[in-house]
Amino acid sequence: MSLTSLDPRVTRLNLPDGEVPLMAPKPALDQFETYEVFHQKKESAAYTYVGPVHAPNEDVAFLFAKEQYSRRAACVGLWVARTAHIQVTPYVGDGENVYDTLRLETPTEQSGQPEPYEIFHLKKRGKAHTHAGRVMATSYQGAVQEAKKAFGEKGPIVNVWVVRSGHVLQSAEEDKDMWLTVPEKKYREATAYKVMDKITKFKEQQTNTPAQ
Amino acid sequence: MNEQAIKDLLYKLADDLLILGHRNSEWTGFGPILEEDIAFSSMAQDKIGHSLAFYTLLHELGEADPDTVAFTRNANQFHNSQLVELPNGEYDFSLIRHFLYDNAEIIRFEMLSQSSYEPIAKVATKLKGEVKYHVLHANTWIRNLGSSTEEAIARLQTSLNEALPYALGMFEPSAYEQDLIDASIYRGEEAVKAAWQQRIRAVLEKTELQLPDLESITPITGGRTGSHTHHLQPLLDEMAEVFKIDPAAEW
Amino acid sequence: MYGGGNIFEATKLDDLQAEDPAKMAEFEARIARGEKIEPNDWMPALYRKQLIRMIEQHAHSEIIGSLPEGTWITRAPGFRRKMAQMAKVQDEVGHAQLLYSAAETLGKSREQMLTDLINGKSKYSNVFNYPALTWADSNVISWLIDAGAIVNQMANARGSYGPYSRALERICAEEAFHLKYGHDAVVHLATGSPKQREMIQAALSRWWPPIMTFFGPSDKMSTHTETLMRWKVKMATNDDCRQQFLDMYVPKIWELGLTVPDPNLKKNAETGKWEFTEPDWEEFKRVINGDGPCNAERLAVRRSAEERGAWVRKALLHPKAKYVKPLA
Repeated sequence: MSLTSLDPRVTRLNLPDGEVPLMAPKPALDQFETYEVFHQKKESAAYTYVGPVHAPNEDVAFLFAKEQYSRRAACVGLWVARTAHIQVTPYVGDGENVYDTLRLETPTEQSGQPEPYEIFHLKKRGKAHTHAGRVMATSYQGAVQEAKKAFGEKGPIVNVWVVRSGHVLQSAEEDKDMWLTVPEKKYREATAYKVMDKITKFKEQQTNTPAQ
Repeated sequence: MNEQAIKDLLYKLADDLLILGHRNSEWTGFGPILEEDIAFSSMAQDKIGHSLAFYTLLHELGEADPDTVAFTRNANQFHNSQLVELPNGEYDFSLIRHFLYDNAEIIRFEMLSQSSYEPIAKVATKLKGEVKYHVLHANTWIRNLGSSTEEAIARLQTSLNEALPYALGMFEPSAYEQDLIDASIYRGEEAVKAAWQQRIRAVLEKTELQLPDLESITPITGGRTGSHTHHLQPLLDEMAEVFKIDPAAEW
Repeated sequence: MYGGGNIFEATKLDDLQAEDPAKMAEFEARIARGEKIEPNDWMPALYRKQLIRMIEQHAHSEIIGSLPEGTWITRAPGFRRKMAQMAKVQDEVGHAQLLYSAAETLGKSREQMLTDLINGKSKYSNVFNYPALTWADSNVISWLIDAGAIVNQMANARGSYGPYSRALERICAEEAFHLKYGHDAVVHLATGSPKQREMIQAALSRWWPPIMTFFGPSDKMSTHTETLMRWKVKMATNDDCRQQFLDMYVPKIWELGLTVPDPNLKKNAETGKWEFTEPDWEEFKRVINGDGPCNAERLAVRRSAEERGAWVRKALLHPKAKYVKPLA
């Protein structure tokens, strides 16, 4: 006997009806690693953190991020970075500046070619990290130091994320048309549903109809 | 004029999109991972939205309104290819169908955005960006899964072999093929098919999947003239179950 | 969507005695100042445990909550409803994704949470163990269950845990569509043909009892509850949420000429509080413990989705993958 449901899709699954043994616990990484996603609302705006996705690699993470984080609001660009590639400073209290509390050691010997790093700031706890800018450095430590010089004065900054630019998958100029029609998908917006007229008309009819 | 030809073109575009969108929506809540569930649903919504855009053009040409056209016709009045009406099967089949369909769809939309028939050109130009994501999604999945585990490759290969005769049926020429080409409304199924082969071949070559010799496959046609598998009528009955409680009512 | 009635575990308060008093003082001061707690902050074990439980239950409620309305996804009448129903059910899956991620920041993996859901170890909102018998039932869920969820979520969004607040802000914005869509669909039926009116009245009558249990039984105010409220984990009592819901939506039901199947439902002009027939909490307990009309099906469907997708996930898993919990 298979399960008959009110949902025809479920009935078609031919699921066993009745007791089933417990499911074996899901193995680690069954749901993959996580990637952090940043979106850009409009051309002039800074990239802002929107949340993570679970994905097997950055290409698939991008596919997932696009629909999970930019299907419902204006968007012109998306960045995706593997969580493991992002380094995080400690958090300080609201109103403070984390750069003031970091003991940044001057890198002793500049080794290797400087490369770009992306810097994200959290201005207030509970809000989202936003892109402060890009610095050139040879290490994460060095990048934080450069970031402090470049944009660490304007506090409060309660937390900083640092990631190598090479580790960020960034949508390209020619990808922008993928978001072009998002604002037109009114069927998933509250503003598309207006029923006051119907209610008013209904009430009028009720009052005009003598009680039986 | 070419009105009959344009209507025929619009019906096959719209019916393909409606039925595929409906099929893909069946996955909502049942996908292999939450994120993919969301992505697949978005594309299903887009397909239904695209079909609505084409039914709206038909309505402007004097056909019934989109709801009536979509929810009250019988299977033999539908012009979709049989590919899109087949049941979803497992995710391998749904992905392969998505890959085969959308790689043709993007070519159609690119061609139609150049159409001499302006209403179609406008719709295609506007919606092209959405189809671009659908193709990116399909190709990324096929590239990833197509060179992964033995099981995944075997599943995709089986589904590919099963789907190909139906996929070739998408290119069934219509009675108006030459009229559309002559009037620069649409470049015709042969042109779509040729470009499609190149596109799918380019993706499959990066995987361990084998593309069979397409010349040796007999396309399964008939969908464009209302001949369908036994899967379509139950799909339509299900889709219209509530609508038909009172077709005159506003739901 | 989601209800209240969170099942907070009764933990021995002795556990709190074991915490470092200096760190505890700093933690409580931060919350008292109105600052949010972020994942890397020190937090008492009880705070972590109760938040995981609450966010996880919320996430489960979203993913299981996608099923009653999913029942009608292939049968929504007309383009407008068809597309919106798809988008709404999709949003529930999206909300589950956001909430599982928020819970992960506290240290429980999505794998563990899904296992606990499927094996019946964690709970989800009890209303989803009831069937959506007709299209109208689906509309009642879209409107009133989501309305209840918003009452609850707006309160929780003001809670102290950063990742949960961020997720809820996003979710509340999306729920605005659900609420309007649900109301729109209900209004169309209520003001439509006699057959449509009959459908919506029947659906409302079926769903009213579960709706009244949606926020859970009255809270037993204990030291434990007070602690959770001080920590801004629990933001409003179940009774307050229920009253707020009745205040906002009973008039909207009545203006459509629909009957709420509770002869005792009325607002007491003196106290300003709604009076109603006490919901059947025995049934509530029985159903939440597994013996409801749809419990088995809901879990079987979720399990089947996970099992049918297993080959896909296995195929794509990178051999060098290393799990790091989401940052925020």
